[in-house]
Amino acid sequence: MHLIGRKWLLAAALCSSLAAWAQAPVQPALVAQSSLNAADTAWMMTSTALVLLMTLPGIALFYGGMVRKKSVINTLASVVAVAALISLLWFAVGYSIAFTPGNEWLGDSGRLWFSGLDYLKDAGQAAVSHVAPNVPESVYAMFQLTFAIITGALIVGALVERMRFSALLWFIGLWSVLVYAPIAHWVWEPGGWLNKMGVLDFAGGSVVHINAGVSGLVCAWFLGPRRGYGREPFEPFNLGLTMAGAGLLWVGWFGFNAGSAVAADGRAGLAMAVTHIAASAGAMTWMLGEWIVRKRPSLLGLCSGLVAGLVAITPAAGFVTPGSAVLIGAMAGLACYWGATGLKRLLNTDDSLDVFGVHGIGGIVGSLMTGLLASKAISGVSGSVVTQLIGVGAVMLYSAVMSALLLWLTQLLVGLRVDEQSEITGLDITQHREHMGS
Amino acid sequence: MLNSEKLAIAAHLHVLLRRKSGRVTDTEWLASNAEYATEIVRFARAKATEDGHADLAEWASKLESAMAETQPMRAGLTKRSGPVAEPLAAPRASAPNPDLSPDEASPHRYIRGIR
Repeated sequence: MHLIGRKWLLAAALCSSLAAWAQAPVQPALVAQSSLNAADTAWMMTSTALVLLMTLPGIALFYGGMVRKKSVINTLASVVAVAALISLLWFAVGYSIAFTPGNEWLGDSGRLWFSGLDYLKDAGQAAVSHVAPNVPESVYAMFQLTFAIITGALIVGALVERMRFSALLWFIGLWSVLVYAPIAHWVWEPGGWLNKMGVLDFAGGSVVHINAGVSGLVCAWFLGPRRGYGREPFEPFNLGLTMAGAGLLWVGWFGFNAGSAVAADGRAGLAMAVTHIAASAGAMTWMLGEWIVRKRPSLLGLCSGLVAGLVAITPAAGFVTPGSAVLIGAMAGLACYWGATGLKRLLNTDDSLDVFGVHGIGGIVGSLMTGLLASKAISGVSGSVVTQLIGVGAVMLYSAVMSALLLWLTQLLVGLRVDEQSEITGLDITQHREHMGS
Repeated sequence: MLNSEKLAIAAHLHVLLRRKSGRVTDTEWLASNAEYATEIVRFARAKATEDGHADLAEWASKLESAMAETQPMRAGLTKRSGPVAEPLAAPRASAPNPDLSPDEASPHRYIRGIR
């Protein structure tokens, strides 16, 4: 009798699990509002605001402080315009391409113009994404929108002080739809080919940072160096602004990484902890490296090191222990210091604010170390360096080829570079008819 | 020499003068105005001689070398306001700053990369 009871219990539990599995949506769907998790939703809305803060004003200040005084306004304006443009494109096209099932390569048209992101008060229903079934899809779409924004904004650092403003908008607009959204689909949508292969990217090591880094490098190569590059010192306008930007990035990154847990739970808490630890380790190793090589620890080095640590922990945040985070951050600090100095000289390309040196190299280091250090106890999955290498290679190749194609197209449409006199005068005056006060 | 390096020297001299003579200077003006710099260099040397502060004389010389690189501005000011008591030394070609590493002492900082 007792044995029969246990069998019934087991069967009931199995049926319950199967029912739950059957209910889990495999595509965006309408669900009862009561099934949404209020804490998760609140945390995701907070994270969305934090990630937007990383770009506006984080990236704007970070980059604006590093360019010459005559191009500060152009740099700030570029970041603001990119944020607004990508927002509209994400709403119109990008989200649907990235986060609907479609096929292995692209999503479908089900969410074009945010169609279907419903909130039906009388029916008591709300739309959810199959990727984030506990929060309203409107919140998830907005959260991912801020990722699309920051990725485009990061590229600005590679092409400052010489690109026409109109060309920047054409290029970044096309890039966001044709490069960012497909790669986001490959890696983050459960049907994406890299996702199915088992590539681990918790918050965007490859989708955001390697992608932006490689594209930035291609932009810098395609545009050519700024006039006087290699002969004149390009003194930064105000490293205080850069430090303020770096601080906002550090704080905002908690939303970036811990928000990528898509829940207000223990994994999000751990992601937040490892994010902070890796940033600190990155700042310290870059500082030490610079202190040894150049005899001085610079403020810009500290800011760059902390960003390097944050970049590298991004793919790993929901997969690794705090101890591993120290290793990842420390390694990224050194690797990115080399990326922004030694490698930069080897590449001989005016990647003006070291988008590849910091984001590209940091993303590669983080992605590969995720394969090495991912803990099955934390995430339920094991990492593989080989799989990670395939993911890194695929993103680098696609990003590089498509960026070059889009730059070529933009060149045909509006021309890429400002003329010589405009560059000498500075882009603030020539592109915007504005200038910084003294 | 970069403005930031010039400013660093001016700031160092400012601190020394305040500590050792009680005189307060305007650091930014010191790094940008040759006439003001000339007077402060003269004052610092006089104090160094009077009170035996060798470091004051040393940093006065550093500022003098740094300011000598902005000769056109100095010449313009001198022309407007007449001759100064102790004119700055003739410009020296890229006078090295002994306190900075070879990488930083030359104006190569920020050439071919910001980091």
